Amino acid sequence: MTKRRKIGFTLIRGFLAILIALLVAALLIFISAEGDGIGEKLEAAGEALKQLLIGPLFRMGKNGVSFELKRLADVFAAMIPTIFTGLSVCVMFSANQFNLGSEGGSMLGAFAAGMIAVYVPMAAGVHAVVAVLVAGLAVAVVMLIPALLKAKMGVSEMVNSLMLNYIIMYIIKYLMSTHLADKSKGQIQSFPFMETAKIGPIVDNSVFNGAKLTWGFVVALIAVVIVAVFMYRTRWGYSIRMIGINQSFSMYSGMKVGAVVVLSQILGGFLAGVGGGIEMLGRYPTFSWSALPGYGWTGITIAILAGNNPIYVPLAAFFMAYLSKGCDLMATYAGVPAQLIDIIQGVIFLFFAAEQFMARYRQKLVVKTAQEELQQKDGQSLEEGGAVNV
Amino acid sequence: MPDEKDAFAGEYVVQMKGITKVYPNGVAANQDVNFNLRKGEIHALMGENGAGKSTLMKMLFGLEQPTSGEIIVKGEKLHISSPAVAIEHEIGMVHQHFMLVPSLSVAENMVLGMVPKKSGIFIDKAKAIEITRDYSEKYNLHVEPEAKVADIPVGMKQKVEILKALVRGASILILDEPTAVLTTQETAELFRELKNLKEQGYTIVFISHKLNEIMEITDRLTILRGGRSMGVYNTKDVTKEQISRLMVGRDVILELQKDKARPGDTVLRVRSLEYINSWNKKMLDQVSFDVRKGEILGIAGVEGNGQKELVDILFNFQRPSSGSVQVNGENILGKSQQKLREMGVALVPEDRMIYGIASTASIEENLISDRCGQKRLNKGPVFNMSAIHSESDKLIEEFTVLCKSRKQQVGMLSGGNIQKVVVAREFSNNPALIIADQPTRGIDVGATEFIRKKLLELSRSGIAVLLISADLNEVMELSDSLIVMHNGHIAAYFEDTADLTDAEMGEYMLELKHQSPEEIGRVCHD
Amino acid sequence: MSDFMSMLLTPEFFFSILRISAPIIFATLAAIVVEKAGFCNIGIEGLMMFSALGGSLVSYYAGSWFWGILAALVVGVLMSLIMGFFAFQMKTDIVLVGIAINMMGSGGTLFLCKVITNITEGRAMASTTGLITKDLCIPDITIPLVNKIPFIGQVLSGHNLLTYLAFLLCLLTSIMLYKTSLGLNIRAVGENPNAASSVGVSVLKIKYLAIGYSGLMSGFGGAFMSMAYAQGWSLDMVAGRGFIALAAQAMGNGECLGGMLSSLVFGFAQALGIKFSAIGLDSNLASPIPYAVTIIGLVIFAVSRNRKELKKRSSAALEKRASSQA
Repeated sequence: MTKRRKIGFTLIRGFLAILIALLVAALLIFISAEGDGIGEKLEAAGEALKQLLIGPLFRMGKNGVSFELKRLADVFAAMIPTIFTGLSVCVMFSANQFNLGSEGGSMLGAFAAGMIAVYVPMAAGVHAVVAVLVAGLAVAVVMLIPALLKAKMGVSEMVNSLMLNYIIMYIIKYLMSTHLADKSKGQIQSFPFMETAKIGPIVDNSVFNGAKLTWGFVVALIAVVIVAVFMYRTRWGYSIRMIGINQSFSMYSGMKVGAVVVLSQILGGFLAGVGGGIEMLGRYPTFSWSALPGYGWTGITIAILAGNNPIYVPLAAFFMAYLSKGCDLMATYAGVPAQLIDIIQGVIFLFFAAEQFMARYRQKLVVKTAQEELQQKDGQSLEEGGAVNV
Repeated sequence: MPDEKDAFAGEYVVQMKGITKVYPNGVAANQDVNFNLRKGEIHALMGENGAGKSTLMKMLFGLEQPTSGEIIVKGEKLHISSPAVAIEHEIGMVHQHFMLVPSLSVAENMVLGMVPKKSGIFIDKAKAIEITRDYSEKYNLHVEPEAKVADIPVGMKQKVEILKALVRGASILILDEPTAVLTTQETAELFRELKNLKEQGYTIVFISHKLNEIMEITDRLTILRGGRSMGVYNTKDVTKEQISRLMVGRDVILELQKDKARPGDTVLRVRSLEYINSWNKKMLDQVSFDVRKGEILGIAGVEGNGQKELVDILFNFQRPSSGSVQVNGENILGKSQQKLREMGVALVPEDRMIYGIASTASIEENLISDRCGQKRLNKGPVFNMSAIHSESDKLIEEFTVLCKSRKQQVGMLSGGNIQKVVVAREFSNNPALIIADQPTRGIDVGATEFIRKKLLELSRSGIAVLLISADLNEVMELSDSLIVMHNGHIAAYFEDTADLTDAEMGEYMLELKHQSPEEIGRVCHD
Repeated sequence: MSDFMSMLLTPEFFFSILRISAPIIFATLAAIVVEKAGFCNIGIEGLMMFSALGGSLVSYYAGSWFWGILAALVVGVLMSLIMGFFAFQMKTDIVLVGIAINMMGSGGTLFLCKVITNITEGRAMASTTGLITKDLCIPDITIPLVNKIPFIGQVLSGHNLLTYLAFLLCLLTSIMLYKTSLGLNIRAVGENPNAASSVGVSVLKIKYLAIGYSGLMSGFGGAFMSMAYAQGWSLDMVAGRGFIALAAQAMGNGECLGGMLSSLVFGFAQALGIKFSAIGLDSNLASPIPYAVTIIGLVIFAVSRNRKELKKRSSAALEKRASSQA
């Protein structure tokens, strides 16, 4: 296929996948919409859909639709942890390592950063940086477990990383309900973070009508660039990608397959941990999570949407954050449960990852291109002895 | 003498008209091919590797669907959407790679998909064995019904395959390169069996590129070249030379201008190598040889006689049971591939799609896989992209890789160009020893010639080359000296290939003739 | 310590192992059959969530546990066939299909629960625990005579119908795999799909049947979770059993008996955790025990497998003399 045809195809295909997911969503919204009779239901569903589709940027009031900066800032803020988990999954999936530990990783990162913020006093500026780095390192170390078990013994990293998610969650819950709890509070939470550790907003909150967009967003975008450079411009990133495409080839080429397998998972863990840490210090005054945050799963969707290419992660993260915000608004204003996001996410995911989705159309394009090329070739090369090969 | 198509339309059991097949990756495997079969004939489908023979037959057997064209079987126009449809219309196929389930018994493989049952659900094992016995006796194809397929010899596996087709009522049998894995005796036996089947009215398609076999057994032949049909001929009306010209469009024999080798010091030193595989079969038996600077040592032999195991051990994909291997005096057994490459060992792997390339990566990425850590390609922690670009452009030019740019996906290239990418990488990283395992298998004549010349050129520049090839022509043309492997050991050593004949080689390859241990021992230049 | 041991060696403890193992056994059978067909279903977790919800809802609306089980099975099979459609026909990586199903099985089931029942607990949560009464649950069965045997009777009798079925299905699945043509086809497809298709066995059909069977087992597992193990469905109630089953499948070497024994090991680990928390260990420390045991189990399995391979190789080397004589 020519390059232009390829890009066009990719765009159309992605657009259709999203459209199908939205149609499924619309159907579910219609079913769940309140009202008697089809007319009322349709109207309610229409309202809900409006919230889902344009709500994340616009407020819909009596006097029409108006753009709202606060909501955009909210969407940006929601991208911070998922950009990191998205990058994390990109790195690991690129190496064909189905490590699903970004979920537990972001919780552990948030916890580790939170504890540094509570118990280890440091100078402002340094504190947050150290806390976030500790968060990343803590998760990287934990990811050594599935990574080494995979590299040394061939144990599936997938099951192990899933198990680790549960173990991490329970141990944090245990610590939060015992040794580290602020018992003066009614709910389970840690002591408050020191001010020095908090990650501040880029601009004063008033600019966004009270929405808070922290420096974490900038750090996330920088991380995207660094990971992209790492994956496409360094020998380690290159090795990760080659191992993901063909492990036998990489081994035969002299790459240290085991080491790279471990590296990819450590790095994935580090990124997930950093994301969790930044989210925690940017958004919360104390550590109070009692369940896995779901960022890891969203990260997987983002990585799939981005085709495992870090550069596209912010775009995919924006898309997911937008939808998620839309679902939240829908829940608030139209009474459609916000968990609709999980179904939309699943459907998009399935179609995006589906190789055969629109394969017939692609095959047509391929055949067309091949025939065009053959016609050209026929002109030149038949008399050369016709060494056309397959 | 292409025979007239439509005059005989009535007596054709199979007609394939105007068949075109374009694969999803854009490769056109067949273009407007016509192919037909008369009842009760043995019909050869000929062509070089990659000419589209297998693809054409896969479409007849329902494993692939034609992009355009029609298939008529016994006067009925069919859409053969799956092998089930083909079987229903009495078409059976014996594949080049056996379609058997190793952990099941011969009888279970025989009845797979048509299992005899007792009380409606359970497999009737006794009945399955009985069926196998009956067919085995009826067609005089001896097999052991209760043996596990994993444990039986290749020849018997093939018989199981033929029986499988027969038990399903096939009257049209497609045999895809059936002799490739057989010894001469087994081949002779197969031919007797096929003639027997022909007399009983079976129609047989015989895919091959071995001229002698074709002349011996077939009635008619269709020749494919580059995915197009070059016509249909009566076998008795054409000569081998004519066929060969039709197949490849020029005379096959590539007379390589070869200077006499001036071998230097020993580079690869293999001693008493033994390897016993996990089924306890001894695959390598006391293999010892040397390869010296500036010479090409060829290893000939029917495939499956230990060549694959030898290469796997040399490149550390496999550890031997005993023995030693040294490169320039240093042990290499158990050394990582990275270390091997640092020592200058390069390998052109037999299966380029598995080891040779990362198919969805770009040409450039495939060219630097063995050297991505080298200083000259890096600037500190990041790649020196301009150095990498110029390196890959240089290699693409030097090895005449036909592509749009270095960014093109390597998997989209033709087989010959993919192999050129592999070879460009392996030949260009200052090798001391090149192990070339079937370096020209399944690729076009142009690329073949190019790679052979390159190998020769490199050896003359002082590199040691170990050439493993099942292509007798290649191994005899190219090698300075030659060893023949049979059944895991070295059956013969020829110091000079210049006055060696095919016939003589064949006799050693099939162990009709032996050399004394002293004669063989000359391959070690201690 | 001896006090604790005597606490463990009670019939109640062994009874609880069997009870806790049942859903893992169902899930493990689901994993085994697809593995035999040559692929890995990591969506069992999600399938069980959907089945658990569907089962409990239908049980409530139909007022009968029987229809509840049936619904759970139908949901399990339908969802698994959808997985199959994406994996086999749309060529989505089966691992990704599994992840998608698990995502939907988590938040998506909550969405459906809220939409269907209009029940909300607070703003975020919902469950069907309020709907399912004892008589909507799958009944326990007392085995006559056996229940009279001291100790053993208390361990073996009085289990839930599905608990017995779980063990029975181990046997039936094994028979299906090794004694029927379906099983032969599944194994052939798993080992060499080309061989199967070349004799007219539809690989696609067999794969659908295998994943459908996997959905059926997940359906039983889900029904057990919401109508026997707990009363009613709640968010993330399957709690990783679908993943543990993947480990049990591997540790059981892909065979039904081995898978059952591995499931019992996990059941034991969880029962032990519960016992620990009963004597005062924080439940947050007791709960991760089965997950940790899964990791340890996988490691032990891998070590012993690698050893076996090494041994095989060295014994092959030892035997080389003998074979070279022959």
